Amino acid sequence: MPSPIVITNNIRKLRFFANEMTQQELAEKAGASRQTIIAIEAGKYSPSLEMAFRIADAFGVSITEVFAHEVKEK
Amino acid sequence: MSYQEKKTLASITSGALLLAAYCLYAFNPANTPADLKGWATTMLIFIAIGIGATIIIQIIFHIFFSIGVAIQGKIQNRECDDKEIEKNIKLEMVEDERDKLIEMKSNQVGFAVAGFGFVAALLALVFNYSPVFMLNILFITFSFGSICEGIYQFVLYRRGYTHA
Repeated sequence: MPSPIVITNNIRKLRFFANEMTQQELAEKAGASRQTIIAIEAGKYSPSLEMAFRIADAFGVSITEVFAHEVKEK
Repeated sequence: MSYQEKKTLASITSGALLLAAYCLYAFNPANTPADLKGWATTMLIFIAIGIGATIIIQIIFHIFFSIGVAIQGKIQNRECDDKEIEKNIKLEMVEDERDKLIEMKSNQVGFAVAGFGFVAALLALVFNYSPVFMLNILFITFSFGSICEGIYQFVLYRRGYTHA
């Protein structure tokens, strides 16, 4: 079995640089609920590729600037 | 606590109340149905009561939730109007892919418990227990499965779900 992957994100940092965009504003732009944005930001939920692109679009950056991955060693 | 978590708690409460009411009614010697037909009728009545109670509890929950959001909105901003309150309520109730995924995952738990109940009911027949016993196993495990589904859904909302 492949090693598990941990997905990390820079949403908090990107919100700060986007004039302290609120989680609610980001949720509205990405078409998600505020709870989902909170969960993604806290690393408690890995979004679908579609939502990941929508979040990146909301900040006007590429998806790799929002999300990164680390391979967890077994 | 989010809207989804509160909604899940309302659903667990209605399921638990139904199961408790059924057990209290059906296993009370004064009400115990005499034959299989009587048990089937009792269960059908409780299914109907369960559907009705769930709808009523959800309606009451939505009313109280909306009132709560409106009061919170007024406390935060005294000048917010009805349109803004309505928008806040809608925003709190948004459901997306995460909700669907959590619902799907918790459904699996519900089906597993119900499936276990079905097998247990068949085994009860194989080991010469009465059909009434089998019917009760089915009804109770299906109701319990629905409660387990709600509890797992609540746990997933609190703990998070990361695919890994």
